[in-house]
Amino acid sequence: MKTVKQAPISLPPKLSLLTRPRRILRTVLGGLTLITLYALLTLNTAGLKISSAMSSLGNNLNIMFLHPGVGQDTWSLLLRALVTSISLGLLTTILGALFAFFIAMGAARNLAPAWLANTIKAAMAFIRAIPTILWVLIYSVVMGLGASAAVVGLTFHSIAYLVKAYSESIEATPAETIEALKASGVRFWPIVFQAILPSIIPALLSWTFIRFEINFANAVAVGAAAGANDIGYYLFMASGFYFNFHEVGLIVYLLLAVAVVLEIISIQLRGHYLKQN
Amino acid sequence: MLKVIDLDKSYNRQKQSLKAVSFTAKPGEVTAIIGPSGAGKTTILRSVNQLIKDDAGQILLDDEDIRQANKSDLRRIRHHIGMIFQNYNLIGPLTALENVLHGRLGAKSTFAGMLGLYSATEKNEAAKLLQDVGLADFALQRCDQLSGGQQQRVGIARALMQHPKMILCDEPIASLDPKSTKLVMDILRELAQSKQLIILINLHQLDIAQTYADHIVGINQGTIVFEGPERALTPEKLQAIYRQPETKAVTADAN
Ligand SMILES: Nc1ncnc2c1ncn2[C@@H]1O[C@H](COP(=O)(O)OP(=O)(O)O)[C@@H](O)[C@H]1O
Ligand SMILES: [Mg+2]
Repeated sequence: MKTVKQAPISLPPKLSLLTRPRRILRTVLGGLTLITLYALLTLNTAGLKISSAMSSLGNNLNIMFLHPGVGQDTWSLLLRALVTSISLGLLTTILGALFAFFIAMGAARNLAPAWLANTIKAAMAFIRAIPTILWVLIYSVVMGLGASAAVVGLTFHSIAYLVKAYSESIEATPAETIEALKASGVRFWPIVFQAILPSIIPALLSWTFIRFEINFANAVAVGAAAGANDIGYYLFMASGFYFNFHEVGLIVYLLLAVAVVLEIISIQLRGHYLKQN
Repeated sequence: MLKVIDLDKSYNRQKQSLKAVSFTAKPGEVTAIIGPSGAGKTTILRSVNQLIKDDAGQILLDDEDIRQANKSDLRRIRHHIGMIFQNYNLIGPLTALENVLHGRLGAKSTFAGMLGLYSATEKNEAAKLLQDVGLADFALQRCDQLSGGQQQRVGIARALMQHPKMILCDEPIASLDPKSTKLVMDILRELAQSKQLIILINLHQLDIAQTYADHIVGINQGTIVFEGPERALTPEKLQAIYRQPETKAVTADAN
């Protein structure tokens, strides 16, 4: 075999480490710095006394977090509102999961033709790009403000989110593996339920639970906007309408408690499935 | 008996991948298709169970033309054709036993298949097959934790679970070490004889084909250039099988 004499690699005379993404990042950061400086210099601080402002901030924080209370509402009312928020999150997650599962099979490249998968994925990306709250507001134009608009809006965004998560989980089973079962005369649904699903259930559960956490948080925010009479609505009223910071503090603690419980459940779930696999 | 008659296939206009391919494979025998890479071995094998739609010809399995079969007939015929692959193509996160049981799914209604309703007899049979291929201790292990040779034996057990007339093997040992290769090929040869199966196997290792095949089909650029028993494979025939089109005077290279 003949050895080919290799020419030494020639470097461009001026080698710059400033790649395109880095240049863009620098420009953006520089721009933001300039805007910040401009804003600080031209800020209208008339009427603001830092010392008294700090002390009322401290006072408000003290009321909120050290003296929480039910305010003009009752415990049972607030707890019921909290359950409403949890239910809202749960309902929209379950509905979203059901729809998403079937749509995801059309969006998985190893099950569906490429044109269908791409179309669905693009549509879902579009829906996801618009925040949940906006979908709720869009639906409340059609259905009126209230719980229905909240449910439909939350479900809608959940579907788009879960279709992406589920279809990517489904795609973890290679197309050749699915073809191997087709080659032995197995129909479509048995392949889905006996081959694909059992191997991805931990992933599906994980994603669904994460979406439940998101939906609970969204339900609180959406409740205020859509007037769904849930804990978000009372938080909004207490903070922006009655200025009752005792109640604001209590509601924040209630939400925190739910978040901690959800986190514990999610850790347990994942631990359980990790052990199984 | 498998009879392939005048099979044509082009993937695109520029090139015909199979040109009037005809050969026969008998029950009880290992039939090896040999030839250089790109000769059309995979195309033949995947046409036999119609994973590829070919253009013209006949594929008769026990006198039934699989090319004429409607959708449900095709499914029934496919259920009696096992297939094993270079990359095993098992469901990795599932256990060996579950993967073997998948061999029965094609015999079930949509509903029973969806729910995975396997009878006790079927479960016992699956366990027995795993024992037969030497994997009794691995029945409840995840397949992606098994070695390549072990996975390929699970693949064989899955194919046997279909109660096949024929097993198609596309480069079944290309990813295996010599020891696993011998194990897998011994099993396949033994199966052909004991169960009177048609074993049709694509190989690019000439020595393996010469050791294990009863019947050899040589293909070069989509044309069958040899068919006969192993002993009829003369150096001239080998030259014809492994001839390269562009460069002249290249020695027959099994790999
Ligand atoms: N999906 C495909 N699309 C286009 N051409 C293909 C495709 N599959 C195989 N071919 C062509 O058909 C010929 C035979 O390929 P193949 O059957 O895979 O050969 P082998 O298995 O003997 O290596 C090759 O020239 C290959 O390029
Ligand atoms: Mg091939």
